[in-house]
Amino acid sequence: MSGRVVITVPDIGDFHDVEVIEVLVAPGERVELETPLITLETDKATMDVPATAAGTIVELAVQKGARVSQGDAIAVLDTGAAAATVLPTSESGQSAPSPSDTQTAPAAAGKISETGLTIPDIGDFHDVEVIELLVAVGDTIELETPLLTLETDKATMDVPATVAGRVLAVHVAKGARVNAGDLVVTVGGAATALAPAGSASASGSPQPEKAAPVPQPAARVEPPTGSSPPIEEAGFSRAHASPSVRRYARELGVDLGRVSGTGPKGRVTHEDVKAYVKTALSGAPAGAVPSGDGSALPQVPVVDFAAFGPIDVQPLTRIQKISGPRLHASWVNVPHVTQHDEADITEMESLRTELKAKAASVGVKLTPLAFVVRACARVLAGFPRFNSSLDGAGENLVFKKYLHIGFAADTPNGLVVPVIRDADRKDLYEIARDLALLSEKARTGRLSGADMQGGCFTISSLGGIGGTAFTPIINAPEVAILGVSRSQTRPVWQSGQFVPRLMLPLSLSYDHRVIDGADAARFTVALAGALAEPRTLLEAVP
Amino acid sequence: MSEPLEQLVPDLGDFRDVEVIEILVRSGDRVEAETPLITLETDKATMDVPATAAGVIREVALKKGDRVSMGSLILTLEESIEAGTPASAGATAAAEEGTDSQVQAGQPAVDVEAQLVVLGAGPGGYTAAFRAADLGLDVLLVDRWPQLGGVCLNVGCIPSKALLHAAKVLEDVESMAEHGLMFGDPSIDIDLLRQWKNKIVGKLTAGLTILAKQRRVRVLRGFGRFTSPTRMEVVEPDGKTRVVAFRHCVIAAGSEPSRLPGLPADSRIIDSTGALELKELPGSMLVVGGGIIGLEMACVYDGLGSRVSVVELTPGLMPGCDRDLVRPLEKRIRDRYERVMTGTGVSRVEALDEGLRVSFEGGDAPPPALYDRILVAVGRVPNGRLINAEAAGVAVDARGYIAVDRQMRTNVPNIFAIGDIAGQPMLAHKATHEGKVAAEVAAGQKSSFDARVIPSVAYTDPEIAWVGITEEQAKSEGRKVGKGLFPWMASGRSLALNRDEGFTKLLFDPATHRVIGGGIVGVNAGDLISEVALAIELGADAADVGLTIHPHPTLSETVAFAAEAFEGTLTDLYAPKKGA
Repeated sequence: MSGRVVITVPDIGDFHDVEVIEVLVAPGERVELETPLITLETDKATMDVPATAAGTIVELAVQKGARVSQGDAIAVLDTGAAAATVLPTSESGQSAPSPSDTQTAPAAAGKISETGLTIPDIGDFHDVEVIELLVAVGDTIELETPLLTLETDKATMDVPATVAGRVLAVHVAKGARVNAGDLVVTVGGAATALAPAGSASASGSPQPEKAAPVPQPAARVEPPTGSSPPIEEAGFSRAHASPSVRRYARELGVDLGRVSGTGPKGRVTHEDVKAYVKTALSGAPAGAVPSGDGSALPQVPVVDFAAFGPIDVQPLTRIQKISGPRLHASWVNVPHVTQHDEADITEMESLRTELKAKAASVGVKLTPLAFVVRACARVLAGFPRFNSSLDGAGENLVFKKYLHIGFAADTPNGLVVPVIRDADRKDLYEIARDLALLSEKARTGRLSGADMQGGCFTISSLGGIGGTAFTPIINAPEVAILGVSRSQTRPVWQSGQFVPRLMLPLSLSYDHRVIDGADAARFTVALAGALAEPRTLLEAVP
Repeated sequence: MSEPLEQLVPDLGDFRDVEVIEILVRSGDRVEAETPLITLETDKATMDVPATAAGVIREVALKKGDRVSMGSLILTLEESIEAGTPASAGATAAAEEGTDSQVQAGQPAVDVEAQLVVLGAGPGGYTAAFRAADLGLDVLLVDRWPQLGGVCLNVGCIPSKALLHAAKVLEDVESMAEHGLMFGDPSIDIDLLRQWKNKIVGKLTAGLTILAKQRRVRVLRGFGRFTSPTRMEVVEPDGKTRVVAFRHCVIAAGSEPSRLPGLPADSRIIDSTGALELKELPGSMLVVGGGIIGLEMACVYDGLGSRVSVVELTPGLMPGCDRDLVRPLEKRIRDRYERVMTGTGVSRVEALDEGLRVSFEGGDAPPPALYDRILVAVGRVPNGRLINAEAAGVAVDARGYIAVDRQMRTNVPNIFAIGDIAGQPMLAHKATHEGKVAAEVAAGQKSSFDARVIPSVAYTDPEIAWVGITEEQAKSEGRKVGKGLFPWMASGRSLALNRDEGFTKLLFDPATHRVIGGGIVGVNAGDLISEVALAIELGADAADVGLTIHPHPTLSETVAFAAEAFEGTLTDLYAPKKGA
């Protein structure tokens, strides 16, 4: 019997889509452990990827010029009987066969009695904390039984079992930090047929859509060496910087022409280059480099409040701790403008009242917010810039071919923003149902990470509470957010007389780097128009 | 299960009986491959000898103070179950097999494999090879000549400087006669002189061989031609062809003297290489080409007693350099040489028994004249067309240059080009700098050619050196520059050297007062120009240079004086206030 092993690209650091500049083996060739298979070239270095097992190459999955990332298959190896020589494919010691291997591996091994369960793809998160272990050695688990709870800075999420069986070993402890692919538990004595670890985790895990990265403010800007804009050589060659500083700038990929020097006579020092990189990494727009110590913002004075009377100190909730820096990052990084308008929702309200009971009878709570979400979905289709984001370098606009709308939900623990998937493909009732479901999850703290990822546009409705207008903060890297205040019946001048109309205040904050004032005004006018003709919002969605 | 493994002293280059100054392990110690075992000290350096395999030491055969040579037994090792990692085994193989190792199993077509092949062992090539080896690459250096060092060491910079020194000694002695030092007429033993020059060259090239061995840089002698972007065939002197496979290649194949079309084939017509051979001293010599190389060789033969004439096609000697810098040299050689012709071409050369009869053309062309030798020094052509670069897909232009980017990459990403073949100026110090950039980039670093200036030096008497922007260049670009000039007439040191014709000139950005160029003519100008280059690279301004205390009395003072002349703070000369 012969074992087949798929050799994949190991952990290569932060690089993705790395070019294969050389394929060093051919099908039929026999390779030993550590025989180099291919040569990769990142913008840092070239590196050989060695075989993690000895055997004969059955098939090559890459060719020269291909671009690969961690986990991509390189070659299929026939290991002969020597299946024991498989080396771990990553530091985590994960030796689970790769997805394409799962058909042969279990069969070949006869009765595999142990399966290692690993952290599935959890999006862009790294070193995520394990805040709860839900299984212990000896537990019997079913498919989908939660194994442990992870907490990212976005949300908590459970990692479910992808096989049923008995827990033989738990490899992580509470408080540990894990990454995708890390071994979590070993499950043995599988009574039911083994679900292939790879494919099950792909379907059953809270895996975020790849195309819809978590809205993260610039904290994750790639290091300048990766995708920074090309260096403007003329400026570089004029910079007042000594040869050693030039070399240092090249190492870090810094365009010296953009660094302002703090040395004597404006000379750029090593420290200036460092400060520039730090600022770039912390997300400030390139070029706006603070001179001196690098802290751009004046600090709020620290006051000893107890000196003036009794106080009580309470920690921020977890959600507040997380959302605070994000709101701050958006506030300081995005030039906000807020456009105010109002929509006549007299007819919308009467229509809603008319349909409410009927909807309730089928379990749908038809709220004004459902109409607003539906109207936004309609209007956004005509304003693609409102469904875009700037890329990390601030050089390109990313237009999204999907529309997921987030809505701010007030919960006892703080503000969360669940996301309605594909809001443009849902009718009013489906939206209303999603709103109710997600709101309930939010209130009870059961929102998963996936429930809060991928938003394109956010609505913050304070209409149930009060107020006439406000300035919502954009949920960056989204580029616009709609604030909705409380509707009021007011006299409106129509055809020569004042008539009582129910008016809904709209406050649209937008990223002025992406959206012009005129477009923002057009958007709110279109939105008000859509809300004023509510029957069109009832139409079925193709 | 394993028999004891002997650890021997590896190839030490040319060293024998080297002292063991330290034993770093004891019997019973467990060592890994590459664990240092002993330290040797040659008169050049100390070096550790590493284990070539992992294991437990059974017996140490040496003690401190012993003297060893290649092959001496160091110790015996019980090999551990896994014998070394493949990586260290590879390194061992390379070390043991030395320079003509190479043959590896695998693809039968390939005789030699290396991560980096450097084609050409001139100053750019060996620098690239050594730097790359220091960065951990497995390097093969290919050169068609028996000695490393290329043109610079063998038939260029170094031998010419030796002969120029000889000429200078003769002239200095001669010029001191009127000041009371009389030696009588010199007697010149041309054979001894040639031997001395060759010895200098030999010392340097042998040094390179040692440096290569110490770094485990393999050397393959032969003529390399590309056969693909990752393959090269090297024709060895015996006609054998070896196929060399590489991941990266640095083309450092240099240049050759240009030939002048229409000249008869005659052994009396020589180029710079021939002139440096110093076979004999001709009675008369015509130097065709009034550039740096021609004028340096003219200087040598004039000093040694030949009657020298120079003919230059363009209106001035040493094109590219400011005229004021050339003037002291021109004045001196017009006095000393038989004839200095500018704006004049050679129209015809007849090889006659009594000599080479040369006809001239041009406005001031003299009548035909007879010379014993003609030295052709009309420039150099890059060797880009000799290496079959097209097989690798490397673009070579019509003149033989290979275009490169800031990282010295050619249009083929794994192939670099440096030195003369990568473009003007054809200077060794440019090539070495480029060689380091290419090696570092090949090793995965992000280096780039970011030098702002490359100094030029003519080692004539007087020497001329310049760096950065020239006045001619500024004028043609319409750029305003500020100037500070200090004539050596006012330098005590220069006068004490019995010379007064030199001067130091600095050019400044009028807005920032930063040094942007400079030129020096006079004794040791080539050594003095470095400070100006450093000032430009560091962005120093006139005050930075002027306020740096320079030792007195030196020629280097004149750099500071020139800066002070621009600043208006100079006290060694009186200059009426500018614009007052």
